[in-house]
Amino acid sequence: MRRRPGWVSVIRVSRVHDVGGQTGFGPVPEIPGSQDSQPFHADWEARVYALAGVLGRRGLFSGDELRDTIESLPPERYLSASYYERWLEALEILAARKGVA
Amino acid sequence: MTLRPGTRVRTSSADPDHHTRLPRYLRGQAGEIVYAGREWPLPDDVARGVAAPRAETVYTVRFAAAGLWGTGRHTVLADLWESYLEQADGEGEGEDDGQAGSADDGQAGSQDGGRAGSADDGPQEER
Repeated sequence: MRRRPGWVSVIRVSRVHDVGGQTGFGPVPEIPGSQDSQPFHADWEARVYALAGVLGRRGLFSGDELRDTIESLPPERYLSASYYERWLEALEILAARKGVA
Repeated sequence: MTLRPGTRVRTSSADPDHHTRLPRYLRGQAGEIVYAGREWPLPDDVARGVAAPRAETVYTVRFAAAGLWGTGRHTVLADLWESYLEQADGEGEGEDDGQAGSADDGQAGSQDGGRAGSADDGPQEER
């Protein structure tokens, strides 16, 4: 692939999750006592969190493997999913990959 | 190898195809060691299920915001594993033009640009 000086091709840049330091998202909201300060917005989110903890402690995967799987979701899925939807999708992928699904 | 506080370093410009703790905005950047911490398993290895992940010293590294984004008077601290870093002391030495000798943040920016364009190490798979 030909490259112009100072340009980088898309395949050389990070996966979709790596948006730290990127402009355009606005300031990080910090609202103590608001809904956003709660750990879970729905019961299913707490169950996903607990499931990940149990499977991790049983040795099915490491925390870094879970992160890697979340970061490997197709960009369109990653960007349209909520935080725990990403966790759930990664758990499904890992369970299938490890042969326990 | 243990890098001492005050050591000038440059972060890796590599873009690995797996989980890593070197964020994109710190890739190929000049910084300074602030603190040498204890050894931790390298997340890049753990994420790939490597049986015996490398344990490496994790350093707190300071970067000038202006060097990262071209603006800002503050600094940014990041905890980075040793294999993300190379020592930058003497960088630019041996080059004949005097400009390279006075390496500092302003110049680092343009160096980064050059590196990004020519960094063709390791053919990344096209997906």
